[in-house]
Amino acid sequence: MKTKEDFPSINERKPEGLSPEGTPFRVLIVDDSMFVAKQIAQILGSEGYDVVGQAADGLQGLERYKELYPNVDLVTMDITMPNMDGITALQKIIEFDKNAKVIMISALGKQDLVKQALLTGAKNYIVKPLDRKKVLERISQVLKK
Amino acid sequence: MRVEYINPFVESAFNVMKEVLQGDIKRGELYLKATSMPVMGVAAIVGLAGDVEGRVLFDMEKVTALRIASAMNGEELKSLDDLAKATITELANMITAQAVTKLHELGFRFDLTPPAIFTGDNMEISNQNVEALIVPMETGHGKVEINVAIRERA
Repeated sequence: MKTKEDFPSINERKPEGLSPEGTPFRVLIVDDSMFVAKQIAQILGSEGYDVVGQAADGLQGLERYKELYPNVDLVTMDITMPNMDGITALQKIIEFDKNAKVIMISALGKQDLVKQALLTGAKNYIVKPLDRKKVLERISQVLKK
Repeated sequence: MRVEYINPFVESAFNVMKEVLQGDIKRGELYLKATSMPVMGVAAIVGLAGDVEGRVLFDMEKVTALRIASAMNGEELKSLDDLAKATITELANMITAQAVTKLHELGFRFDLTPPAIFTGDNMEISNQNVEALIVPMETGHGKVEINVAIRERA
């Protein structure tokens, strides 16, 4: 009996954080602001994504990525951070794994840096203040590709 | 100081606060201070350097800072801990970044320093040789003063 197909429900929607196989997408958050990291984790958590790691600067982010690899599907990367900025970290992550999916998180006013990040291999970017809808949209777009 | 420097800060403060606090923001009367002035309990400061130099200060009572941080986090924060401070810092960051984008469009070139946050009682700020323009903004969580002191480089 195919109950689900017989009675499709408009309220039922698969959480975006799950892959077609039904396992959660695994995300690494790299951001030096505790507030922004928490905000991203909350938004993603509510859609079923699995936040597998957090890092407070680019260097830590790179190290975490190498530790997690290949069990990580996506990285959110802040641009301005101490020790190693997000663009350098992006570059090094891509050197390590050319298929890495990295999304840049940026304040408005860093267009040049965003452009540079996209040329380096970032898959997309999100401008702060972070809006739940915008974050989820951009991330699921990147994961679908 | 030229008034055109402060407008982008007021506009972006208005836009960003309206978005992250989801409430009405009212702009108060602009005023000018040439000497030292008291600062409320929490102040986030961002430095500017380039064609113009100076700083922007976002200044509020501690209780306002807590209320704003709580609203932005979607949970009640009881004390001005690291998370609350990171939240206020990020608010300052977003407002300044948006304002600087507008100023860049007007042809001014300068960089920002990472924001720093000061907390304490009976603080005072003095500006040597540069006057500050202050715009009070009334949020649903209390008053935030935007205090901008910028001068052109000699």
